[in-house]
Parts: sequence; C-alpha cells; structure tokens
Amino acid sequence: MPKHIFRLLVLIFGGLAVALVAIPLLTVDSFYRFGHYRANSVPEIAAQEPVYQTARYCLACHTPRVAQWSANNHKTVTCETCHGAAQGHPANGKLPIPKDTVKLCTLCHEAMPGRPSTQPQIVLAQHNPLATSGQQCTACHNPHAPKIAAALVKVTGNAAAGKQAAESCASCHGADGISPNDTWPSLAGQNAAYLARILAAYKSGDQKDVVMTPLAQALSDADIQNLAVYYAGLSCKDAPGGTSAGDAAAGKVLAKNCAGCHGETGISGNPAWPNFAGQKAGYLVNVLKAFRAGLRKDPMMAGVSRSLSDADIANLAAYYAEQSCQPKK
Amino acid sequence: MKEEDRNPSQAARREFLSKLGRVATCAGAVVGAAGLGVVSNASGKSEPASEPASFPTKDYDWTQHDWAFGVDATKCIGCLRCVEACKRENNVPANAHQFRTWVERYVYLEGEDSAHIDSQQDPVNIEASGSEKEYRFANRYKQGKVEKAFFVPKLCNHCTHPNCVQVCPVGATYRTKDGVVLIDQEYCIGCRYCVQACPYGARYLDERKGTADKCTWCYHRITKGLQPACVEVCPVGARVFGDRRDHQSPISLFIRNNRVQVLRPESGNAPNVFYVGIDKEVN
Repeated sequence: MPKHIFRLLVLIFGGLAVALVAIPLLTVDSFYRFGHYRANSVPEIAAQEPVYQTARYCLACHTPRVAQWSANNHKTVTCETCHGAAQGHPANGKLPIPKDTVKLCTLCHEAMPGRPSTQPQIVLAQHNPLATSGQQCTACHNPHAPKIAAALVKVTGNAAAGKQAAESCASCHGADGISPNDTWPSLAGQNAAYLARILAAYKSGDQKDVVMTPLAQALSDADIQNLAVYYAGLSCKDAPGGTSAGDAAAGKVLAKNCAGCHGETGISGNPAWPNFAGQKAGYLVNVLKAFRAGLRKDPMMAGVSRSLSDADIANLAAYYAEQSCQPKK
Repeated sequence: MKEEDRNPSQAARREFLSKLGRVATCAGAVVGAAGLGVVSNASGKSEPASEPASFPTKDYDWTQHDWAFGVDATKCIGCLRCVEACKRENNVPANAHQFRTWVERYVYLEGEDSAHIDSQQDPVNIEASGSEKEYRFANRYKQGKVEKAFFVPKLCNHCTHPNCVQVCPVGATYRTKDGVVLIDQEYCIGCRYCVQACPYGARYLDERKGTADKCTWCYHRITKGLQPACVEVCPVGARVFGDRRDHQSPISLFIRNNRVQVLRPESGNAPNVFYVGIDKEVN
C-alpha cells in the first residue's frame, strides 16, 4: 500500500474513532430514549403551569355567583371567558369584567353574517341606541343571568268579552280605562302582554295587593286574556299635567337609563314591558318605591330602582306623566 | 534554485503529515480503547435501573392516551376568545401576526363564486379591535348581500405523519406517544425548515427566543386532566377535545356522530383535527 494512502486511511479511521467517542459524550442521555429527540423535553413542557384555572377554581369561593351562573343562559360561557385568566387571583387583585361591557358583549352578540342563527344577536343602534353616550349592557342585563325575565307573551283574547268583564274594574280604573285619580293606573292603551302578565301574577300570588289579589283570583285565565286585549285596544288619553311635585326636566335626564326597555318617552319597545307615557304620576311613584323596597318583585327593576332617591322617583314620574301616550308616527 | 526552494518545504510538509499521522493513530488507539468503556458506561447510564412507573409525569402515562381535536364551524361565532386565551396561556407574542390558533371567516357575497376570506390579523379587523393585543371581527359585510358565511377556527393539526418533524435537522420536534407534536425549545436552532414544511401554516418563528413555536394542544394542561385553554373558554362549544381511546369522550362522539373531514387529506400527513361544517374553500 502506498504511504500516502495509508496515511489517509489512518486519518479517516482516527476521525471515526474520535466521533464514536464524542457523540455519546455530547448527546444528552435521554436523546434516543423514545426516538430521535430529547425525551426529557416532554416532562419539561408538561411541567408548565396552567394560566386558565377553570370554573372549579372559582367555585371554591364564589359559590352563590357560580350557582346563579350555572342555572342561566350563560352557563356554557366559563368565568374566565369574560373575567380573564384566574392565575394569580386573588393574590394579585380582583378580576372584574372590562368596564366597557358594550365592547365585551358585542364580541359575541353583535349581529354579523357567519354567526349561527341560534346565537342571540343584536344591532347595537337599535338595541342600545345610547351605547355611544356610555349606556352599558349591564344597566339592564345581569351577565350571570342575562335573559330578561319578562318574555313576550302572546295574548289571544276577545275584546268584547273583555269589555263585559271590565265592568267591575271601571269603578277604580275608569269606564274607558282612564283612571279618575292619581294613585290608580290608567289601563287604556297599555301593552296587552304586560297586562296579562301582571294580572296572572296577582292571581298566582307572585304579586300582592289588598284590592287586586282577590279580584284577580276570581278571574279565569280566559278572562285575563280578554281583559288585557280589551284595555290594550282602548285609546289612551294624556293625563292632566302638573299633578306631580317632581321636576320633569331632571326626570328626562334620568329616564335615559330606562329607555333601553321602556323607550325614550315611555313607549316600551317590547310589549311585555309597560308603557309609562301619560301614566298617573302618583301611581308611578308608588310602583317605583315598591320595587325599591322589594314589595314588588322583579330582578331587573330591583336592580335599577335601588339607587333612586325619593326625589329621583318624583322627577321620573313627572317626566313620564307629561309625555304623550300616542306613539309618534 | 527551484529544487533548493522546494526541498525544504516538501520536507517540512512530509514531517508535519507523519507527525499528524502518528498523533492521530495514538489518539485513535487511546481514545478508541477508552471510548469502548465510555460507550458501555453511557448506555448503562441512559437506562436507569428502575424505570419510573409513568412518563412524562408521575400522574400521567402517555401510552394510555390518543388525543384528537374537533372543530364545529356551524357553532363558531367568531368571538376570538380562544385566540386571546391561547396567547395568554402560552405566552405567545402579543402582536397581530403570530398565533398558535386563529379564526378565519369565509363570506360569499351574492353573485360571487369564491369566498372573501379574512382572519383577525386583517388590518380592518385590527382597526375594529383598536389594538394589536385584542381581537375582533369587524362587521364589514353590511353593504353587500351575504349568501353564506361561516367562521373556521384553525390550529396545528398534530398530524400522524408530520412533515415538520421529518425536516427538522436537529431532532428538536417530534410526535409524542399520545399523539401531540411538540417542539424542544432547547434543541431548536431556529432554521425555520419546519415553518416552511407545514402545509397548514401552523408554525411561526418566535423572535424573542429564536425558536420555532406552535400549538401544543396545551400539553401542560391535558397532562393535568384539563382541557386546552381555547376549548375551556369557547362559549359555544365549537371546539372539542378528547381522548380517542375513550369511546365516550367528546371527541370520539364528535367523530362518530358527524360527517367529519380533515384539511388537505391528500397531503398524506393524516391530520388529527377534525372539521364539521366547512366547504371546499377551506384548506
């Protein structure tokens, strides 16, 4: 063998020998344990701490909230979807939902092509026209129980039959549904679904009144429907002005908070909720105070009436009493 | 003159080579002998006498699971809470261009054959969200009449035959025994072969670390019995995750009860994310 070939071979095998030694020395032990990768990297990745903690973590302290949430429509939406990741809570502070709830809620509920029809969707300009001036979704909706209780009830009654049944109501509510005094409500032109719901509530005992409870208990379900249709069909008359001590201008400012459900001038957007326009001021004051005191039960009204002072209530009543009860055409 | 010049240099070269040869032979012999011992030592060291009961953690045995993911495009509302949760859970860069999971919107306007496709990183959608760290689909198709539209969440498909793993030159990415494709951030050299190789665009280079990154199906969560963060926060159940070994798991039921399809089946990668409610435009 020529000398230079021999030397070359020595170099090649020498290099191979060095490589044979160096590879196991430089390769970490776990590298070929399961394949061409470092097995220890698997437990390293698995050891990372979860940031999102799941609703079970929240349940440990917020039991009542979790109970309310899990019984209502948002039960498929976990706590952290709105409140954010719970890692570090409560040590690092509270986890409120973002202040701008309009922005948060419309992420899911803005009407948009591509969203399935089963998803509740709104057009902001119609659903909450005051959003641009800061009216939050939470003014009306409780995020843990978002569905507003008074669902639309379909009323199918006979107005003529209702007129007969209404004879016994006339002594207080007026022969044409216009109340003769300030503390009893006018019924003419009121939403039928609302009237039917309230009468049914008196009948079932969900709502109590010394006079109305026994009267309503004497009514059949058909009577209630007939009465509701009859009164809803009567034409309303604007109340004589100046019966409330409140300041209507101040009431108008406050009434913006009610507009989402009851309309800007007290003509409700949904027939399940009452109209106020032209209603008796004294009656409105009594009702709001009853909601505030918890005598009339409604989760939504309890929430919004809690912060009202006596003066606020008088102002609101004065404002609504002054409004024209005929819807603007 | 020439020969005199050449001779000393030739002599020097020859001397150097013969020295080198001798050194190499000696080194080879010594190191080779020692090496045999080291090799046998090393192989003895890599197999601990008592194998731990389960791998990768003491409460989780990866030979007992076979994970898979389902996406129901008929349920997705495009709220992008999943995208936000993923960024937070996995410390993904807070910009509008790098995502482990993302959502695409397909909109067919009246009289058009092909879809308008955008995702949360479209400039119009970034403007609607107001920041690159928040995500929102702009309500941008108010004018035209929309014939059909849907949202499609996307993520790494954790393929059974992943070509990202095949191209990695350093063994920094691999498929685990429970069916998850992972990246070893210590071994990754940031060459981006895998980013190029993935037919789904699921990988990106994290400039902060200089390594490739992608969805892990939240491996740190699923090995602890939790759902991936995106599945956890999805408000409508459009994302489904589970173990195919358990025949009553959400994913087993999802695959059994729906006409599922995978993206780019012709690629031969055998993806493990199963879709319902998408059409031919999605790939």
